[in-house]
Amino acid sequence: MFRRWVVISNAGSGSRIEFDSETRAAIATRSRAYARDHLVHLLVLGALAIYPAVYHVLTNGGDATGMVALLPRVETMVAVLYFGLFAMSFDFISGYTGYLSFGHAAFYGTGAYFVVLVANGKVPLLAPETPFVCLLVLAGVLAAVLALGIGAFSFRLTGVYFAMITLGFAQVLYVFMRDWEYLGANPRDGIAVTGLADGFRIGVPGVDSLSVAIGQLAGEPIDLFGSTLGASTVSYYAVGMVVVICYLAMQRIIHSPFGRVMIAIRENEARARAIGYNTFYYKLGTFSISAFFAGVAGGLFAGFRRSVTPENGYYFLVTGDALLASIIGGFGTLAGPLYGRLFDEGLREFLSKSGSGGGLLVFLRDSLGQPAMETALIGGMTVGELVETFLNGHAPLYVGIVFVLFVLYVPNGMVGTVRNRLGGSCAKQLPAWLSDRLTAIVAAIRERVSAVRHRR
Amino acid sequence: MILRTEGLTKRFGGLTAVDDVDFALDSSECCAVIGPNGAGKTTLFNLLTGTLQPTSGSISLMRDGAWTDITGASPEQVASFGVHRSFQLTSVFAASTVLENVRIAEQAAGANAHNCWRNVGAFEEHVEAAHTILERVGLAGQATEPAATLSHGEKRALEIAIALAGNPDVLLLDEPNAGVSSESIDDIIGLIEDVASDHAVVLIEHNMEIVMSVSDRVVVLNQGQVIANDEPAAVRGDETVQQAYLGGYERGDLDIGGEPA
Repeated sequence: MFRRWVVISNAGSGSRIEFDSETRAAIATRSRAYARDHLVHLLVLGALAIYPAVYHVLTNGGDATGMVALLPRVETMVAVLYFGLFAMSFDFISGYTGYLSFGHAAFYGTGAYFVVLVANGKVPLLAPETPFVCLLVLAGVLAAVLALGIGAFSFRLTGVYFAMITLGFAQVLYVFMRDWEYLGANPRDGIAVTGLADGFRIGVPGVDSLSVAIGQLAGEPIDLFGSTLGASTVSYYAVGMVVVICYLAMQRIIHSPFGRVMIAIRENEARARAIGYNTFYYKLGTFSISAFFAGVAGGLFAGFRRSVTPENGYYFLVTGDALLASIIGGFGTLAGPLYGRLFDEGLREFLSKSGSGGGLLVFLRDSLGQPAMETALIGGMTVGELVETFLNGHAPLYVGIVFVLFVLYVPNGMVGTVRNRLGGSCAKQLPAWLSDRLTAIVAAIRERVSAVRHRR
Repeated sequence: MILRTEGLTKRFGGLTAVDDVDFALDSSECCAVIGPNGAGKTTLFNLLTGTLQPTSGSISLMRDGAWTDITGASPEQVASFGVHRSFQLTSVFAASTVLENVRIAEQAAGANAHNCWRNVGAFEEHVEAAHTILERVGLAGQATEPAATLSHGEKRALEIAIALAGNPDVLLLDEPNAGVSSESIDDIIGLIEDVASDHAVVLIEHNMEIVMSVSDRVVVLNQGQVIANDEPAAVRGDETVQQAYLGGYERGDLDIGGEPA
């Protein structure tokens, strides 16, 4: 469409390219459509971008205990981002092709172990000082290659057998990494970065001024426009940037011809074969791509935490958490798992006592006051004990209940439900829906105003 | 001729579902395959499309003026060779729109199916071809609806539309009329005749009205064997065919039971 242009050469000023009017109009229409399609993305990005500031303002006000209890800390948000990316990569294969990759933790763990091992100088040919951004890409590639191997066997099977064999592969890796002495002194307890004092830097490789260090302790605060961004906030933006790039890449693939074949495989694999798709290669390709992003997510996780254990890298419950995030956020929607993870982590932190950002327990303790807490209820139990009993360390229980409720009553998850309500993808339909509502509200106000005028 | 089989046989354990079938299809022909339930019609289709592998015998396809042996080819290979099928039990992409159902099939025949970096919207030719096909089968008005919301009759039309995408040389239609009410038979007949005008068609059908009006030739299968292969009128009068359909009863046989004891 944009191929029609006129090259005007001027002997003096060199040549420049100009589009004819028709093409210019086409470009304008296209870019307007593009902006409309991405309006929701921009709104979400904006909301995520101002979150640290909002958190800072709301939790530093006069009476902020409620806000401290409710809002996830910025550190938590970093975890939401990198684990959200892992959950998205899980959904990329499971939600879009219908092949439940229950051993997806294998790729997350591989990415995480890879980063820590390189930093400890345990990976041949790679110096500990290799730029972190390169490590992320290499972690992804390693995971993708691993996926080709696992997938070549696993895609002989379908349904629950596929889920079981991928789980099997992941558990084999889990046991292997738990007992491999080469990794560190005590591989069962995991490994930590010991060979590198500085934080991992995200940004342009090799240019310190264009990259920032991430990590809770190893990250460094940055002075920007007269205010100081804390280490967590800097990590939040840096990790967030990588996650957004990965999200956009996956989004791009899903809307490509290849992505449509993924959906066709989910809807009806036999028919997809009957119309001429070699579904084996498409599935293997999708699996490998999703493993790439899982590897990147694992790399970010290790880069931020600077340590990894078999339990939080390779164990099957890591995949379980991704499944949980996908179900809550919306299976078969790319952004859904991120929101699902946000919901999951937010709820956990809200309900657990350990969350140093506060939580319901701390909030009740602070705001109810000593006399109320000591009021005796049934059987001599005080309110304080009751709160303690029900809230102390039981977050996973409540998250489990929420999960059951979601599966029963919101089977499409958060994003999926909104999508069904709007009758199309959120990015496409939400702007129209919003503008409809706005027009309706404006019309209602106008009517009110003119009615008031009439009465006069 | 465009498609032929020689001694095609499929055994499931002790059961011979397709028994030594020699079948040939002319490139501009509409050939109906009929037979009682369990005669092996759908198994024959599954062999032709690579869904099942034959126990013995061979399948050849005329490609670029030469016979190619396609015995043992996978379903996707057979489809890419230009032999497409529709299914007896409706098999569409339920959650996708009607247009996407046909577009994805059209894309399979093109060269860009592996592209994973450009938006599908950039390949307008697939969308245009899909619209043309939807108009042909009378589904243009439902293009944006999810396939799951179509009526049964419309799904049968979509079933054929998906098979039509990619402009195949041979179309294998497995009971396009299955479960459709008798009022819409004329629509189906019209559709099959239209499709047969520019494709070689093999049609499995139980409805004799359709078979007699659309087909140039009728092949009758019984217990896996070809028992008749002729023009529709000739097959209708064939004694063995009637035998097969009536299960060996002679006219008047049933009266014997009715005699007073």
